[in-house]
Amino acid sequence: MFFHIYLDRNLQLHPRHFGPHLRDKLIAKLIQDVEGTCSGRHGFVVAVTAVETIGSGLIRDGTGFVTFPVKYQCVVFRPFKGEILESVVTMVNKMGFFAEAGPVQIFVSNHLIPDDMAFQSDDVPNYKTSDGSVRIQKDSEVRLKIVGTRVDATEIFCIGTIKDDFLGLIGDPGGAT
Amino acid sequence: MSIEPFRRLVKLVARAFYDEEIPAKGPNRSKSDKSDNKGIAVVVLDALTRRQWVKEEDLAKKLRLHPKQLRRTLRVLEEEMLIIREHRKETVKGAKVYNAAVAAVSDGTTGEKEGEEKLKLHTHSYCCLDYAQVYDIVRYRIHRARKKIKDELEDRNAIQEYVCPNAGCGRRYSALDATRLINQLTELFHCENCDAELVEEADKFAVPAPEGDGEDNARRRRREKLRELLEKLDKQLQPLHIQLERVKALVPPDFGTLVQWEKRAISSVRAGGESNEDAAKAAHGQGSTGPPMPYMGETKVDVVMAGAAKNEGKDETAAGPTKVLPPWMIREGMNLNAKQRGEALEGEWNEDNGGTSNADIKPAEEDKEAMQKKLQEEYVRAYYAAILASQQNASQPPKSENNEMSYVEKDVSTEAAAEVSAGVVVKDEGEDDDDVEWEDAPAAEVPIAGSGHDENLEDTEGAPVEGQGDYAGEADEDDIEWE
Ligand SMILES: [Zn+2]
Repeated sequence: MFFHIYLDRNLQLHPRHFGPHLRDKLIAKLIQDVEGTCSGRHGFVVAVTAVETIGSGLIRDGTGFVTFPVKYQCVVFRPFKGEILESVVTMVNKMGFFAEAGPVQIFVSNHLIPDDMAFQSDDVPNYKTSDGSVRIQKDSEVRLKIVGTRVDATEIFCIGTIKDDFLGLIGDPGGAT
Repeated sequence: MSIEPFRRLVKLVARAFYDEEIPAKGPNRSKSDKSDNKGIAVVVLDALTRRQWVKEEDLAKKLRLHPKQLRRTLRVLEEEMLIIREHRKETVKGAKVYNAAVAAVSDGTTGEKEGEEKLKLHTHSYCCLDYAQVYDIVRYRIHRARKKIKDELEDRNAIQEYVCPNAGCGRRYSALDATRLINQLTELFHCENCDAELVEEADKFAVPAPEGDGEDNARRRRREKLRELLEKLDKQLQPLHIQLERVKALVPPDFGTLVQWEKRAISSVRAGGESNEDAAKAAHGQGSTGPPMPYMGETKVDVVMAGAAKNEGKDETAAGPTKVLPPWMIREGMNLNAKQRGEALEGEWNEDNGGTSNADIKPAEEDKEAMQKKLQEEYVRAYYAAILASQQNASQPPKSENNEMSYVEKDVSTEAAAEVSAGVVVKDEGEDDDDVEWEDAPAAEVPIAGSGHDENLEDTEGAPVEGQGDYAGEADEDDIEWE
């Protein structure tokens, strides 16, 4: 699920950036620092949308770096149990398959794949139905439901299932539906 | 509160879960070993409910089992956390402590003497039921069983588990560890520990799905089966549930570790022996200390010392029953229990008279801790009596001399060191006997204390008699002094 939230961060800036573009530099650094990171609490920071306030800088003893407290608005993505996600398959093996939904990695184990789909260890390993109408392989697009999450301080990993109504393959490799 | 509900619980557990052949598991058990051990666990557990700590050899003899067979069963029960075991290397003396404890618990009928009475160290194993743990383990077990079926029913065990097939490793992983386990080369899951390829944990109940049925149909059938299974489980474990419920509010019997148990068993029989001598009187005197404990293991030692019977009404005026009184506060006519008297005196004696006491205590140091504790206790009591005697000698010389004579007659064995040291102590005390605290000591109390003490010694199968040496030494010295 996506959220638009306020976050705080202390940014350290090198004195060489001090000048008329100080604010731009700070924002650029903020974006560089936080976008794409993950915290167990808030999830993945997808994008910084606005910088609310930049506090007065504090010169750090000994280094000359200046610390600015920055309050900013951003979009975060935090997967939850029971959530439905659309994802792209990244790897298929006999234990199941891995998929990615944006920054989140999801593993679908083979017993959460419909029983009528079997693993085929071809050139391109895949799961497919006996009539061959549905075939999940690398780069396939799959809709899945999250059944378990593992949240660490800097990492979120999910377990998904496609063994339910309206879940499963939604697009073949290449994106042509 | 009694041990009986817990005994019943153990018996039910034995019949519910250990009635079958005990499955051989663990790496240290050989496959070739195919002895029929069906039901042995039930017999062993039943036998253990009738005992407290028991030497495994003795148990094997009593059950007419081969010790090896018994040990195998016990090891399984230990793994199942139903019993606790202790192994220790001991000399014959150490075994005697245990034998004394057994005698204490099983009212005097000592087990047969050990055949190999050499001064070699033998490793002996002891085992005992851990009732508190049994209660927890059984509840946990039932909870797990029910949870497993329920999860299956509600399709909640969505997170697949993987196990390492390596017998020596056997680590378990869940699908949530998938990113860590994936091997980039083979694209398969590998054990973090031994790099073996993991296999899926097949923990689903094997409910046969009929062929040709639709998936929905199969799923429904499966659910039915699972529900049936859950019902059956609940029904069959009903007696166990009832017993668990009954036991819930009770305090489980706790025998402590082997050493603690030995100590307690021996000391409790000492107290018991005294009260047997004069049951009515003891009960009368101990009236204020509350009802007797339900079983040996928890029995506290309440030795009714001199003057207790006489002053039973007054003891509330003294400090609370558990408070340890410093020795200088103890006067004649106080109704004190062993805790107040013994501990206070022990501390005092260690600090102040360390020099003289060391010589006496030395022989005991080689022995087990229990032995030493007991000796110290004895010594302290003897010493205390000796002080009293000398005090009273100071005030009433002729009368005390008569009293001392009786001690000399009762004396069994004397030890030179003890004699001398105790003599010195007594003499010292005698010299500065003008202490105010001791002046009003009535003479009549002393012999009672002394005789009670002697009985104690006899009850413990004549274990430490060194303590009595004090009387002899004291008597001799005092005779010289006063003549
Ligand atoms: Zn392993």
